[in-house]
Amino acid sequence: MKDNVDPILLEVFKNGFEAIADEMALILMRTAHSPIVRDAMDFSTALCDAEGRNLAQGLTTPMHLGSFHDAMRHLIGEYQGDIADGDVFIGNDPYLASGQHLPDIYVIRPIFHEGAVQGWAATIAHHVDVGGLVPGSNSLSAVEIHQEGLRLPFLKLRRAGVVDPVLPKVIAANVRMPDQVLGDIEAQLAATQAGARGLAAMIARYGARTVRGYGEVLHDYAERMARAAIRAIPDGVYAFDDHIDGLGDAPEPVHFRLRLTVSGDEVTADWTGTSPQVRGGINAPLSFCKSNVYAALRSVMGDDVPNCHGYTRPIHVVAPEASVLNCTYPAPCGARGITGYRIVDCVFGALAQAVPDKVAADGAGGSTLPSFSGRVDGRTFVFSECVMGVWGATSGHDGQEGVPHMASNQANVPIETIEADYPIRIERYGLVPDTGGAGRNRGGLGIVREYRMLADDLYFGVRSDKVVHPPHGLFGGQDGAPAINLLRDARGERRLPAMPTAALTLQSGDVYRHVMAGGGGFGDPFTREPERVLEDLIDGRITRDHARQAYGVVVTEAGVLDLAATAALRAERENAQDAHRH
Amino acid sequence: MGTGYRISADIGGTFTDIACLSPDGVLTTAKTPTTPGDYASAILAGIADVMRRLDLAPGHFDEILHASTIATNAILEGKGARTALVTTEGFRDVLEMRRVRVPRLYAPLYQKPAPLVPRRLRLEVAERLDAKGGVVRALDKAAVRRCGEALAEAGVKAVAICFLHSYANPAHEAAAEAILRDMLPAGTFICSSHDVLPEIREYERTSTTVVNAYIGPVISAYLGELQARLLAAGLNGRLLMMQSGGGLLDVDRVIARPATVVESGPAAGVVGAARLGASAGLGNIITFDMGGTTAKASLIENGRLVTTDEYEVGGGISMSSALAKGGGYALKLPVIDVSEVGAGGGSIVRIDAGNALKVGPDSAGAVPGPACYGAGGVHATVTDANVVLGYLNPLALAGGSVPIDAALSREAIERVVCRVLDRSLLDAAWGIHRLANSAMMRAVKAVSTYRGRDPRDFALFAFGGNGGIHAVALAGELGMARVIVPPGAGVFSAVGLLFTDHEVSRSLAFGRPLAGDDDALGAMQAAFARLEQTVRQELADPAATLRWRAELRYRGQGFELGVDVPAGPLSQATLAALRIAFEREHQRSYGHDLGDHAIDIVTLRVIGTLAPKGPGRIADSAPSADAIVPETLSAEARRPAYFGPDHGLVDTPVIGRAGLGDAPRRGPLIVEEYEGTTLVPPHATARRDRGGNIVIDLDAGVEP
Repeated sequence: MKDNVDPILLEVFKNGFEAIADEMALILMRTAHSPIVRDAMDFSTALCDAEGRNLAQGLTTPMHLGSFHDAMRHLIGEYQGDIADGDVFIGNDPYLASGQHLPDIYVIRPIFHEGAVQGWAATIAHHVDVGGLVPGSNSLSAVEIHQEGLRLPFLKLRRAGVVDPVLPKVIAANVRMPDQVLGDIEAQLAATQAGARGLAAMIARYGARTVRGYGEVLHDYAERMARAAIRAIPDGVYAFDDHIDGLGDAPEPVHFRLRLTVSGDEVTADWTGTSPQVRGGINAPLSFCKSNVYAALRSVMGDDVPNCHGYTRPIHVVAPEASVLNCTYPAPCGARGITGYRIVDCVFGALAQAVPDKVAADGAGGSTLPSFSGRVDGRTFVFSECVMGVWGATSGHDGQEGVPHMASNQANVPIETIEADYPIRIERYGLVPDTGGAGRNRGGLGIVREYRMLADDLYFGVRSDKVVHPPHGLFGGQDGAPAINLLRDARGERRLPAMPTAALTLQSGDVYRHVMAGGGGFGDPFTREPERVLEDLIDGRITRDHARQAYGVVVTEAGVLDLAATAALRAERENAQDAHRH
Repeated sequence: MGTGYRISADIGGTFTDIACLSPDGVLTTAKTPTTPGDYASAILAGIADVMRRLDLAPGHFDEILHASTIATNAILEGKGARTALVTTEGFRDVLEMRRVRVPRLYAPLYQKPAPLVPRRLRLEVAERLDAKGGVVRALDKAAVRRCGEALAEAGVKAVAICFLHSYANPAHEAAAEAILRDMLPAGTFICSSHDVLPEIREYERTSTTVVNAYIGPVISAYLGELQARLLAAGLNGRLLMMQSGGGLLDVDRVIARPATVVESGPAAGVVGAARLGASAGLGNIITFDMGGTTAKASLIENGRLVTTDEYEVGGGISMSSALAKGGGYALKLPVIDVSEVGAGGGSIVRIDAGNALKVGPDSAGAVPGPACYGAGGVHATVTDANVVLGYLNPLALAGGSVPIDAALSREAIERVVCRVLDRSLLDAAWGIHRLANSAMMRAVKAVSTYRGRDPRDFALFAFGGNGGIHAVALAGELGMARVIVPPGAGVFSAVGLLFTDHEVSRSLAFGRPLAGDDDALGAMQAAFARLEQTVRQELADPAATLRWRAELRYRGQGFELGVDVPAGPLSQATLAALRIAFEREHQRSYGHDLGDHAIDIVTLRVIGTLAPKGPGRIADSAPSADAIVPETLSAEARRPAYFGPDHGLVDTPVIGRAGLGDAPRRGPLIVEEYEGTTLVPPHATARRDRGGNIVIDLDAGVEP
């Protein structure tokens, strides 16, 4: 096969595999029931080869990209010899199914042709709730996975096309929102069915041998592309350290230590020295750690590299066992998304030293995840959403605002549907002036989202970050403003830590206000063109004081740029620095 | 008036296409270079050309039908009106935040499109409604007046008003609109979201209203001037414009809601395909429109177009737009569901770092164009491959009007592909041709398999300058048995306009469960009655046909499926029938239904149509002057064309459309016309039907 590769057929198959994965994603989205899947789009689809390696991923969630492979290997290893046409598997457990965290449920279907498995249609979706300590199943205070909800090893949801009568009942009994969870599982089933149909059509057209053969060719091609891209990064060891604020009221920072070694056409991300796993749900299984390293490196490789398993071959990940990046049973991982975001941010931090024009300064550090729950009219509701997002500046432009973290690509939930569905009113959603890290290019502004409770006795939890460790700037660009969690209730107004672990119960009229961190700046702010500073001022992105203090730009009360005063002010700092240097 | 001639004009980026249909169905077409900045001139020139050839006077035309990319261009080029947004306090950034999701993964350098209204012109006023429309905070009218002062001073030409939950209660928006109308100069374009899109979801509603305002003054000025110029030239026929969702609308209605005509050009082609396909006995069609930069596909089932409201204007080419959102400006109004890929005649061929051959999405455009144009283009393109393969005339394209140099095509492909991949010239060109097909397959799949439709149940209806060259190969790859290439394929959007209904569509958010009690049934009946009344008023013709539709979804889902509702008295039996129709559609689209799961009625819609006043088909008359094969080609020329390793180079007859008759003629054949070339490979037969269509049937069981 490999001696006889038709580069045209290769492209035909690559297009074909991607079309199948996209079709799966579209069907999943259109038929899903929970806001987090149908609106926020926290799910992924993949078409895998017979060995379980992904051939293509739908246009969905980057941090899921590498997550199929370990789960597929686990599934195939466990069920070898017991896989029938019409079977559908379900699983979620990080330890029993090489999963991500319990809310991420896999639904996976083998694709048969003439009695043999020719591939797999795989989906993963973040479910609104899988039981456990807190609504949303992302407890920060869990100390072992048994507190986090329903654990599913890989089980058969369908046996040779026959619906398992027991599993849906078990699932329904163990989750807070059974209609949404079972509805989303139906959506995943529909997507796998479409994936199976798509690959079957391809096999009917080209034959199983050719399809399999070109799957291999695609992996090799992706590997070649990845190696070429890595070769373009200067060799070196790029070290980067960062932190997650940590858990509870007196948080202990969780330390990330990365040494990224680029050597020829291979790259190794070595996390030795990173904090041990913690008593709280932010531990990441190794498969999730790898997945995020892959996604970050994929981002500097260019558009042509196919999102299939082959591109990960020249990438190596070392993470110490029982650390937050390679947790061991029974460490909890319900809220481990934040850890994934920080992995990606650290890789970008290291890459900024090697390829400064290809990455942005640090951003808001991933989505903030507030969860609300309660009972209204005799029914339980659980509402979680992802507040996003802010990027740092790049060498070419200001930081972006209202964008997802690079690793997720989720959407926001419309305010009007939130208010139509839940006893919550959103009172403010928008940009906060002066919060973007100053720089020649300015970091994105922080984002405020304010929630007023309209019912009593509501559970509230939030996973955020960057309250203590704000996003860093690059090359003289300043840090973005830190995040703020503010609660206004009968006791008055008070700041919450990034990740409160104590239970919070809110009453009607209470207000939770979150301000996301601003993005880091890029380059010395005193070199930003005064005209661009003025534009920011007119648009209310900065205030006059900030223009003066952070940028050395003087604007009169009438809103006119005072170039002479600006030059003087900027020279003053220059002189002060010179004096300091001598 | 009253002679029964109708004429249409479709303005594209490079050419303005004109088509005219006589009362007895004779089609005459013309092409003139588009005159940017003064579009009317090209239209008048094209119409004058047709009048001269047919010996008609300006007063002969009953209707002048129009499609244009002017709205899209205004958005893409940032040349809309200076627009302000007035919104609820605390939410002026909703427009800029969008839905957060971005259309590109793994792209840390991605930049969002700038909002159509800059932050300085997004003003907030205190007011608040809840989700049921209840007033949480009264409208601060003094704040509105302060806005009015600020906007008057800022000299804005358009204002969009969008308050939270206005779909449930328009009172605050209406009051604010009245105040602003009083304060701002006459001629300021002001629109409110409850009027433009009375639907839940604030970003989509705000964005749609803003787009409407942003293009409002541009469209209004443009159509006003066009109408005046036409009248001045004695063209006093009724002027109608194509809507993005299908159907023509009087220009005064368009001026009131300009956002409905953003995608008028592509819509006209699809509508034309539906009508001409139906008159050829084909209800199930996939349209395939291949031009220089992109290829578009759309699905027609049982003669019906598929519309979507998940649309973004100016978002660039999107394969699966529903997944890849965020690149353009959301416009949640019905648009014919067209999928698009970056593969066209001008698509550039390259070899990537992994030694794979790539086609597109970058395009050489019209300037410098493919290498063979000899205008300095150094890239090899799909058109160059088609020249090398012998599919295109080696001396000139477009009926001799664009001379080409085939040697430049050969040189480019040899340089770009052959030397790197060690392939023969023909093999490389064949590969490029097939790769373009593979990219275009995704466009076809996006409107068929992605929605549970099997392309084998459909005929491929090909148009656009390059549609006829790739259609049969594409059909073969997808297992489709029949290809239709209509007359006027190269100006088909203009042709389509002549066969488009006059249409008015009105919808409202209903938001009730399907299994309603008699009260709910009464509410539904009343809602349909109200919609009917509006639609009848606007169409003002008793001959109008009215259709009722409901958009339903399972409770909890976020996306609806539309089903027909029998117009007339509603009963519990109607609801039961709707449930069955919805379940069937869900099963069909997604492969499953949810049994007795609750279903909600989200939207009710009434669509009123009036059939076009002219003949329903094109008479297969002798080709008009523009379709005669130019003298560079003899009546029955031949040239070698390559049909893959199985056939090799085959000496292939080159004929005009008139060279085909009733009886199927076996390929290989090349049909050359002024407007495009149609390729009939060896494994297919071609004939010409009564409507002048080229009908190509693929042999069963032949691998392409």
